[in-house]
Amino acid sequence: MGSAVMQEYDLGVIGGGVHGCTAALFAARGGLRVALLERGPLCREASGVNAGTLTLQMTRLALIPYALRAHAMWASAPQWLGHDVGVVVCDGLSLAFTEAEAELLAFRATKRREAGAPIDLISGRAAMAVEPGLTDRALLAGHCRVDGFANAYLTGLAFRRALLGAGVAVMENRPVTSLAREERGFTALTPTGPVRFRRVLLAGGVWIEPMLRWLGVELPIKVLVNQLVVTERVRPVMRCVVGIANGLLSLKQYPHGTVVVGGGWQGEGDRERGGVALLPERVVGNLRLACHAIPALRGARMARAWAGLEAETADALPAAGPIPGIPDAYVCGSVHSGYTSGPYIARLVAEHILGREPALPLFPIDRLLPPRGTQSPEAA
Amino acid sequence: MSPRRIPGLARPAAVSFTFEGEALAAPAGEPLATALACAGHAALRASPAAGTPRGAFCFMGSCQECLVLVDGVPRQACLVPVRAGMAVWRVAL
Amino acid sequence: MRRCDLIVLGAGPAGAEAALAASGAGLDVVLVEEAAAAGGQVWRAPAAASPPGLDPFPAEAEARAGAALRARLAASPVESWFGARAWSVIRPAEGGFRLDAAGPEGPLACAAPRLVAATGAVERVIPFPGWTLPGVIGLAAATVLLKAQGVLPGQRVVVAGCGPLLAAVAAKILAAGGEVVAVVDRAAPAEWLAASRALASRPRLLARGLGWALRIAGRRVPVHFAHAVRAAEGDEALRRLRIAPLDASGGFAPGGAERVLEADALCIGDGLVPGAEIPRLLRARLRFDRALGGWVPELDAEGRTSLPGLFAVGDGAGLRGQAPAVHAGRIAGLAAAQEAGRLDAAAFAAATAPERAALAGLAPFAAAMAGLMALRPGAVRDIAPETVICRCEDVTRGMLDAAFDEGAREVNQVKHFTRCGMGPCQGRSCGDVAAEIIAARLGGAREAAGFWTGRPPLRPVPLADLLGEFDYADIPIPAPAPL
Repeated sequence: MGSAVMQEYDLGVIGGGVHGCTAALFAARGGLRVALLERGPLCREASGVNAGTLTLQMTRLALIPYALRAHAMWASAPQWLGHDVGVVVCDGLSLAFTEAEAELLAFRATKRREAGAPIDLISGRAAMAVEPGLTDRALLAGHCRVDGFANAYLTGLAFRRALLGAGVAVMENRPVTSLAREERGFTALTPTGPVRFRRVLLAGGVWIEPMLRWLGVELPIKVLVNQLVVTERVRPVMRCVVGIANGLLSLKQYPHGTVVVGGGWQGEGDRERGGVALLPERVVGNLRLACHAIPALRGARMARAWAGLEAETADALPAAGPIPGIPDAYVCGSVHSGYTSGPYIARLVAEHILGREPALPLFPIDRLLPPRGTQSPEAA
Repeated sequence: MSPRRIPGLARPAAVSFTFEGEALAAPAGEPLATALACAGHAALRASPAAGTPRGAFCFMGSCQECLVLVDGVPRQACLVPVRAGMAVWRVAL
Repeated sequence: MRRCDLIVLGAGPAGAEAALAASGAGLDVVLVEEAAAAGGQVWRAPAAASPPGLDPFPAEAEARAGAALRARLAASPVESWFGARAWSVIRPAEGGFRLDAAGPEGPLACAAPRLVAATGAVERVIPFPGWTLPGVIGLAAATVLLKAQGVLPGQRVVVAGCGPLLAAVAAKILAAGGEVVAVVDRAAPAEWLAASRALASRPRLLARGLGWALRIAGRRVPVHFAHAVRAAEGDEALRRLRIAPLDASGGFAPGGAERVLEADALCIGDGLVPGAEIPRLLRARLRFDRALGGWVPELDAEGRTSLPGLFAVGDGAGLRGQAPAVHAGRIAGLAAAQEAGRLDAAAFAAATAPERAALAGLAPFAAAMAGLMALRPGAVRDIAPETVICRCEDVTRGMLDAAFDEGAREVNQVKHFTRCGMGPCQGRSCGDVAAEIIAARLGGAREAAGFWTGRPPLRPVPLADLLGEFDYADIPIPAPAPL
């Protein structure tokens, strides 16, 4: 905890998920004095409760180049992060069970392949050779060798160790109630005292919308409430990441034996209350789909289910870059399949803050805001 | 643990079932965990993480230690009444 | 979807009485129970297939009370769903409650404007090395074996822990011809003496307790007061125990002499912890009350939680025991009926007056028993580092301390760091002790350590029970995600 004299940090990162933590880590390694403020413990919202899938077959086309680099980052987490997040690199299969799905799959796989994802279309029978646990009912499969998953709940511990090692002032359980622009820098007010910094990065996931409002910027962020189910530990029933053509299934078995079933079936909840309820028929629907793909899953028990929030902009592409009209303020979040691509995009934002040229373009939010001059007077 | 049925009590007629292929008998309707323990099978599984032996602990559906496969479905043995012909196997991991 | 006026989850004394009272006042009630019959743990029905008249202990008052309750339920219009494992309870956007269960013949669902949660308590065991060995069972488990199933837990049995079940179990084993090696009681004789004043308010129970004590004394079973089990040993099953004396804090007395007891069964229980799983799942306001066993829902005098339409009664709402649960259940059932407009204020007051009076009369005894079974900080302080706390995931006390040292400050973060509480028991066996360990590191207040966030399913449920028969075309797959 801080000393009696108020310290000014070079960078304040508000939001301690994958985006905020990665940006804080690389900014600190780049020489900045960084404070990371998180209202709860690190990576306990979307970054800690998502399905952990590191797949290209559910990644938006425009993000494929980013996701490829991010996948390499996850796979080498012990090197740059320094700690284990349980990453397993394996094959991925995206399945089609009907003619319509086969058509959708062929189209999407081709597009993603053109964008750089090494996806091959293979027959259902060939897919069974890739994944021995697979049903014999698949007509077609997208097969990608660059796939895998992490253990999302380990993310917070890994980042915590890395951030402390990099000298970041990690301020957990410290909610920011407002952010004031000052002559030179920003002051974040918190119930346990203000924190000052020269630059600010808003990395609050679905809470980016209210965070931007502190600075008078109105950026609508849609809140998705993704349902997830995990089984208890079972004998090995599968070895790949398995999804379906339209993206509504993600399925894999962790080395300790649990199987996580996701895919973005929507539960009830919102930004204020979090994920409050899982809708039973959607839990059952998601599980039926999972058991249709991997029949041996029928022999498992559901141990736990939950709903995590996911942020989405109007065009479902990231909000990652400078905040227009506000010098020294940046935003990073709303990355569709954000867990997969998050570390790389957040690293790009850190590079930008450090004054370096990012290796791939950022996703500035200008495109999502009303044209200059048409904003409300308060936001001007 | 060598549990035994208290003598002199009236019980339903015994029925046959199998555990790991071995033929056993117990009063119909007796909870499977009790029947297995009385047949000398106190240890029902190994804990998944450390592999230490486990058996029924709470006998009321809470602790999950007595999980077995009953006719192919994972069930808590303390909640399953013994029925004639049921096939019970250990859960293999 | 079955629609009704009131859902009652749990058919122990509290839930069954709530269902009967509400039904008697004219509500259409669905009573959901995992077991094959009503009665809960105290009034548990004898082994399912016992024909009438063949109960193992027909003379027992509890067996008679349980049978009477089951007969009243059977004669009432209450629709009982036995053998139904509730896995989801939600508050749908349209209001009220929806419960989903895996029933004996397939999936079941019902919806109602009101719900009474009566899910009971789980037993607390303060962990010690070896407590995971087969042959170590809960004290409540021993009562189930002895009373409902007519089975002795072992050849040479040690009974250990705290509270009135100790004497009950030991006496029952002796009565059935078994051998009790020793009774190991965390409480000192002075604590029993203090509690006996409250016991005097219920002379029949006092007489029964004295009867147990006399039987134990008559058979010269050693009773080790202010002692606890320090370790259980054996390879594949329990062989022997080490017990040691306690100090006033409830921890092991420094330098206290250990004794070794040879035994093949240990029945151990260190009190009960309220389940409170429905209030927790639905995010009703909870408070920590050590005297009531732990985290309990905030309740008004009629059992209403902070959520409209949600009631909580019985030991799951705070430990008071079976007799108060009956009256609290009836009051909640009547309150639900009054809310639904089936009882006017006068009728409600008249119907609940005797229940309230009975509750007040039972309060001192309930408080005294809860006091004997409350968690003592010293007991948790002295758990050895190598001791497994989370049985499902084999997480030790040392791992929990290491997580704290790494910065985890509340139990959900500890769960992420260690997998403690992530297994199929969903933290039921370890949650109270794990939170106490973290709270101690934080300075003592349990509020700071928090509680596991409630998650469905309420119990682990086989997927085979949920899926039913289906075709791929029937799966309501949502629209594709954007490319």
